[in-house]
Amino acid sequence: MEKILTKQALPRWIEQLDAYQIYAPVREQEGWKYAIVDTPDSVTLDYPNTVLSLKSILFPQREVFLEFHSQNGRDLEVEELLPGDAQSVIFGVRPCDAKAISLMDKVFGGDYIDNYYWKRRNQTRLIGLACNEPVSPDCFCNAVDGAPYSTEGLDILMTDLGDRYFLESVTEKGEELLAVEDDLFQEAGKKDQKAVKDLRSGAEKKFERKIPELQNMPEILANLFDSDFWEQESMSCIRCGICTYLCPSCHCFDINDEVETAAPLKGVRVRTWDTCQFPDFTMHSSGHNPRSDRAARLRQRVSHKYRYFPEQYDAFLCTGCGRCIDKCPVGIDIVEVLNKAVDYEG
Amino acid sequence: MIDLAALKKEAKQLLKDEKVTYLLGYRQGSNGHRAVPAFIREPEEVEQLTWDPTCTYNLTRYLIDEVRERNSSEEREDRPVGILVKGCDNRAINVLLQEKYLRKEDVHVIGISCEHAGMVDEKKLARELKNQPVMEIEFGEGDRFVVTTEEGKTTISAEKILADRCLECKASYPAGAEVIFGDKVKREFTRPYKGLQEIETLPAGERWAFWKAQFEKCIRCYACRSVCTMCYCDECVVDSIELAVTADTTAEEKARKVRWAERSPVTSENFTFHLTRAMHMAGRCVDCGECERACPVDIPLRLLYAKLARTADKMFDYEAGSDPDQPPLTSSFTMDDPGDFIR
Repeated sequence: MEKILTKQALPRWIEQLDAYQIYAPVREQEGWKYAIVDTPDSVTLDYPNTVLSLKSILFPQREVFLEFHSQNGRDLEVEELLPGDAQSVIFGVRPCDAKAISLMDKVFGGDYIDNYYWKRRNQTRLIGLACNEPVSPDCFCNAVDGAPYSTEGLDILMTDLGDRYFLESVTEKGEELLAVEDDLFQEAGKKDQKAVKDLRSGAEKKFERKIPELQNMPEILANLFDSDFWEQESMSCIRCGICTYLCPSCHCFDINDEVETAAPLKGVRVRTWDTCQFPDFTMHSSGHNPRSDRAARLRQRVSHKYRYFPEQYDAFLCTGCGRCIDKCPVGIDIVEVLNKAVDYEG
Repeated sequence: MIDLAALKKEAKQLLKDEKVTYLLGYRQGSNGHRAVPAFIREPEEVEQLTWDPTCTYNLTRYLIDEVRERNSSEEREDRPVGILVKGCDNRAINVLLQEKYLRKEDVHVIGISCEHAGMVDEKKLARELKNQPVMEIEFGEGDRFVVTTEEGKTTISAEKILADRCLECKASYPAGAEVIFGDKVKREFTRPYKGLQEIETLPAGERWAFWKAQFEKCIRCYACRSVCTMCYCDECVVDSIELAVTADTTAEEKARKVRWAERSPVTSENFTFHLTRAMHMAGRCVDCGECERACPVDIPLRLLYAKLARTADKMFDYEAGSDPDQPPLTSSFTMDDPGDFIR
């Protein structure tokens, strides 16, 4: 279904969606973040991208699985704590972030169905915002099988046409959101479709970053596994968690029991983000660490995205949002690393 | 102005004569106009060397990796590592020397003066240029920067886009370094502890609310710790890598290992991490400001350490890293200590 919504009418649409919790990008200091909005007027979709990706909402950094307590130290009571029942709509999702969620769907919906993830996922509708131009010089979605107007993972995609938005629903959930008050939307005409088409082909051309050997990456990286390439590329890596925590598709986690009081016993079991860049990520309880140095950790990050994941799920685990490049405190650039890997002889 | 050709010549000679194992410097990165750290091993690679207002990185952080490597290798390398240092970076080296973490003979210091200017704050620059992409940024005359965008070159004064740490910097050149490129300049606009003074005017309740909001944002990526030269502990309080001391460590012993901060990025645990780190910065932080620059969620971390630095300054007339031969603040004692509890 294709519709037109004037920019002035956006707050009215949001008002109509009062059955849902509405998230939208809001400004916080120098950056942007997704936050629940109370006043529809405050939603502005004129923004680059959020610092923390969409995963921070659907796969939050901290998820409480269960609560446990025992009065006498013997009989343990356990209560599972699933996410709440609120239905949500998230506005302003960039296509790279939405695609990353569709990749996470593969992980959390594979052999093991993750109820915590899916409860949130199923209760959430994603309204995308196409990029008429790269939002940052580090963007490279169309170098990794993506596009600045991709609908993958989304329910509706909005395209900014200046004074109005072109809305395209791609799922049933999306259709439902458009099935409101009659005079809110206009039908999209031929002229609008042409405008969207022009914007899209124009946008594609504005991306400068390329990965020419993308499809051969699994093989290229496999051949470099034991190479000193990784030591060279990781020299400046300081092993912080920025690249992976800001990544919209990185999904590694840790599970811990956090004890509030020991007697009487009371605590929670929580899942938190974890990262291959931290020293304790692969630490064995024997004291052996199979990935003890920076080279092995950079190799893991790049290989998981461009070799292991494609081998397992037939898709790259990177959507080209560019956050890891933009925010790396020492300027490590995954696109540069990949392109250097192609010609590396060592 | 820094004579880059002379700097390159010096660097090339050091490598040619094999006086250093490699040279830590800066080169142009692949990500737009920004420089990145460079590890230069061959004389012919010296051409990569660059010096511009984006050379923010405190390269002394990499000396920590180097020291670890040297300490664990069977045949200890006896030649030093060459390193380019700004005023702040040089103070970090001095602290490492004071603390006997680094041996003087393991490092060959090449100082660079920031002269009238310093390093740019990328966020301020983006704001000033209304997010126009920057193609190049260079040092101009005096305290001015020359910025090249698609529209051409513009000149911007340092006070507008200089990083806060540079605006508060007390010594814009590496005072004790044997070799210094550039002039030793006393800058007019420097306002030490300006940010701290501003926040201290707030009543305690508001300050608490301020820090609570700041720490709530923390995602515990530990970039502040990872980028910090002073954070050289082999095991950090927040990640237990020494969980098993030997193969015989029992499950009981592992379970009893104290967890000072839980993994959950909640306010209480975030406070534990940040305040623990802050306490370890007392008399050590040289205000290179890398933690604040690296923080992806804009936590004004420098304020925490500035508070401690000013306290050390006021109470003990001590400035971290100003003198490599001085004993470290927290491990020295004098009879005229202002605290009567210790005498």
